Amino acid sequence: MKPHEPVDDETRPSAGVEQSDLELVKRAQRGERGAFDLLVLRYQHKVVKLVARLLRDPAEAEDVAQEAFVKAYRALGSFRGDSAFYTWLYRIAVNTARNSIASRQRRPLDYEADLSENEQSAVESRMRHTDTPEANVLSEEIHRTVNRAVEELPEDLRTAIILREVEGLSYEEIAQAMDCPVGTVRSRIFRAREAIDRNLKPLLD
Amino acid sequence: MTDQIREQVSALLDGELPRDEIGLLVRRMERDPDLRGSFGRYSLIGETLRAPGGRTAHPSFAARVSAAIDAPGEAAAAQDVPAIAASHAFWKRPAFATAVAASFALLAVILVRPFASEDAAIVVANTAATLTVSPLAGAISPTPAQSQRLAGYLVAHSQFSSPMARRSVWSGLLAADPGLQRASYEIQEAP
Repeated sequence: MKPHEPVDDETRPSAGVEQSDLELVKRAQRGERGAFDLLVLRYQHKVVKLVARLLRDPAEAEDVAQEAFVKAYRALGSFRGDSAFYTWLYRIAVNTARNSIASRQRRPLDYEADLSENEQSAVESRMRHTDTPEANVLSEEIHRTVNRAVEELPEDLRTAIILREVEGLSYEEIAQAMDCPVGTVRSRIFRAREAIDRNLKPLLD
Repeated sequence: MTDQIREQVSALLDGELPRDEIGLLVRRMERDPDLRGSFGRYSLIGETLRAPGGRTAHPSFAARVSAAIDAPGEAAAAQDVPAIAASHAFWKRPAFATAVAASFALLAVILVRPFASEDAAIVVANTAATLTVSPLAGAISPTPAQSQRLAGYLVAHSQFSSPMARRSVWSGLLAADPGLQRASYEIQEAP
């Protein structure tokens, strides 16, 4: 693995989001803990997905991602805004994943030799269980639910949310593309999210 | 919770909320778990549409991060954080500073030894080992050039040693060389 893998352009936040992140970071640096919580909520899925890809071990991904966020919080005072917050967070997550891999490679494995046949079987069973965790099933269900909900949206809401989330356009750009005021774009995106959320929320509660 | 506030939450996620509205909304969200829940699910919707497949965070993930941050004794490993200060940590380690201070004390003993009687050298050696220096009884005063070199070592020593070790070495060497008085005075007065 390279020391610092480049941030994927497709997942790079838009300029508006970067500015919003910077505002939240400044507030968190001044002690507004709620502002950092919002950054976690915004980037939790990106970071977990990234770490899971690097570790190739879904069971460990959330622990390592959590460690990365805690490290980011502790080091927030050193963040000067020279790069986007997500780029900085991404580097912390990559380094934390690398350390986890290195630590795992140093971990002794010879304990398996001491296991009885029954114990060995129990360990293998647990490993099979973590290969197909509940979280993976949930992720698939979320994917199906969101896509079904998007397909059921009225066309103006569907276009607005796709232009925003998939194409990454700003409200201004969407307003030009859809030939409507920016305020209407904001309202359509919100209503699209609410409609999708009505299907999604029961899955997560 | 009104639609108007949730619409603000949606705009905040997109980085499209006017800056002067952010502060109030962030404080409101800090108090309102439902608003935070909406923000997290809106984020999940976007992530699912942008990059289908792969792992998503468990619904309780953000709460676990928050709890881990609040946990006492939780500390981040500096080497994982792209911060500029990490490279200086080595110099701040107490063991390293003690070793450097002891080295300078030993060096001072070696330099002074040719001018001192055998008994005085033993006193200095014991002093360096215990970090409680006594005046060098019977020591011969060094030349001005040697005093200047010793002053240089004192300056270097003062950068690494603890205040107690620094004071001990100074007092021992000053007793041996009155010519060092001015240099040591300047060092002690420095911030």
